[in-house]
Amino acid sequence: MRVTKLILGISAAVLVLGAMLAPPLALAGDASAGADVFKKECSECHTTKEGRNKKGPSLFGIVGRKAASIPDFNYSDALRARTDWVWTADKLHWYLSQPVKQANPGTKMKYDGLDDPKALDDLITYLGTNH
Amino acid sequence: MLSTTLHRATRRPRPWPLWCALALLLLLVSGGAQAVPAYARQTGSSCADCHAAAYGGGNGGPMLTPYGLRFKMGGYTDTDGNGTKIPVSMQLTETHSAPAKGDSTTNLSEGDLYLAGRVSDNVGGFVKVEADHTGHDTYNTILRNVDLRFVAKELKVAGKEFLLGVSVNNSPGFDDPLNALSASNTVSPAGVTGTLLNFSASNAPASRVIGATVYALFDNNWYGEVGTYNSMPTSLQDHLGYNVAGDPGKLSDTGYFRFAYMKDMKSQYFSAGLVGLTTKRELPRNGGPKDDITDLGYDVSYQYLGDREHIVQLSYSNILEKRKYGSTFASPSDPTLFSRSRGNVHDQTLTATYVFKQSYGVVVGHLLSTGSPDPVRYTPNGNPDTTANLISVFWVPFGKDDSYITWGNLKLSATWFRFTKFNGATNNIFAAPVGAPMTNPGDFNAFSVAASVAF
Repeated sequence: MRVTKLILGISAAVLVLGAMLAPPLALAGDASAGADVFKKECSECHTTKEGRNKKGPSLFGIVGRKAASIPDFNYSDALRARTDWVWTADKLHWYLSQPVKQANPGTKMKYDGLDDPKALDDLITYLGTNH
Repeated sequence: MLSTTLHRATRRPRPWPLWCALALLLLLVSGGAQAVPAYARQTGSSCADCHAAAYGGGNGGPMLTPYGLRFKMGGYTDTDGNGTKIPVSMQLTETHSAPAKGDSTTNLSEGDLYLAGRVSDNVGGFVKVEADHTGHDTYNTILRNVDLRFVAKELKVAGKEFLLGVSVNNSPGFDDPLNALSASNTVSPAGVTGTLLNFSASNAPASRVIGATVYALFDNNWYGEVGTYNSMPTSLQDHLGYNVAGDPGKLSDTGYFRFAYMKDMKSQYFSAGLVGLTTKRELPRNGGPKDDITDLGYDVSYQYLGDREHIVQLSYSNILEKRKYGSTFASPSDPTLFSRSRGNVHDQTLTATYVFKQSYGVVVGHLLSTGSPDPVRYTPNGNPDTTANLISVFWVPFGKDDSYITWGNLKLSATWFRFTKFNGATNNIFAAPVGAPMTNPGDFNAFSVAASVAF
């Protein structure tokens, strides 16, 4: 009985710890497939390298990052104004599933949105692996 | 610069000495490159974002991706927003050339200076100054390309995105948004004649005119452009490094248009375009005959980009030139035979490119230059038809997001340029009499190996 309680206790602790250490709000996508989606959809304007901005900011550590928070990137006023935005997986899913100028009028970003939910899940899962 | 040389639109019959053809053929291997690391520094992008092969230029042209085409249409003004970058780049090309006839050579064949970048969100440009090896350690410096742009972006028409721009440039078609015209992709048919839009035809307007076009892009798909050009005075051409023998003449009533549809589907891209250029040309100036010349053409292109692991680019252009000559003249060998008062010239280019990992690639081109027969203008066979092929393989080790070197780039290439028809003939192209040495189209073939560095 004592052993069973110990096992249950350890299991619960592992689950809690795992949840705490997991990428923030990661979706159940395929990161490898997401890497390909990134190359097709995002790589012209973004990298996942830390500190390497292109026309768009680096997406290193984007999942869980506060919006417009890279110090040396010149964000639009429209995004700077979103002081309450955090790029959680859910927020990214919402943002990228539509034309971004509709999601955030005035943004400099040009993207018509990704209408394939599976590809979007994969992409966000991939982005969640870049820490 | 592909096929720079074998064009000589014969206003008068001019025999083609072999040494002349061979000397000029050496220029086939020069780069014509437009790899501009200054743009990469300005945008934070990799060379591979704008070029399928991570290094534009050389045989096969810049190989622009849809992203690169948009950068060009946007007036070269995109930026990473991280301060001002110095808009200067350089390129050096060392070439070993082995023509089928004649001596092989190895030399620093070309050095280029680029002033390329943005001035503001609305103003940017591309200027290329080129030093070409001319033999005996001497170089001739020319102003090759000028494309200065003003663009108004983020406009709306009927609720759709709208871009309006002005380009001041020195070659009709250099500012081509589809990269399908020879002035922009540097791939053109070689032969004894060529259209106005063939940048390497003799007496072509390319690089020797100055003009302005107004263009618009609607809904990211529909493109329209109109403009006009005037030739530079011969004294200015001379100052800019050009031999005045290639003067395009005094041009008047010159009009240019370009209409196109393009569709970027991220992993694939398609475009179709129409182009026209018309002018009245007085050549030579000051009393020469006035020719009415009109080019009309169409082109289609397709790109498979996928996840950029395998990229395929296909392009076909077809340009027909109608000529109404301002004079006719008698054959020197037969005074009863006169040149025709009208004629056609037809340029067709088909290219296919495959690139693996944006690093290893092959370009294959089929180049056709044809024209209506004229026994006096096109001596000795009365037929200007020329067929040529280009085969080039290359390796670009840098220029990608994960490249070790980000401040410069390198390209190694091997190119074979071959002729199967010249002067309308598949052998004895200069109609040598029996017993005299014959020249065949294959005598113009050339193999070259080149290394280019850009920084």
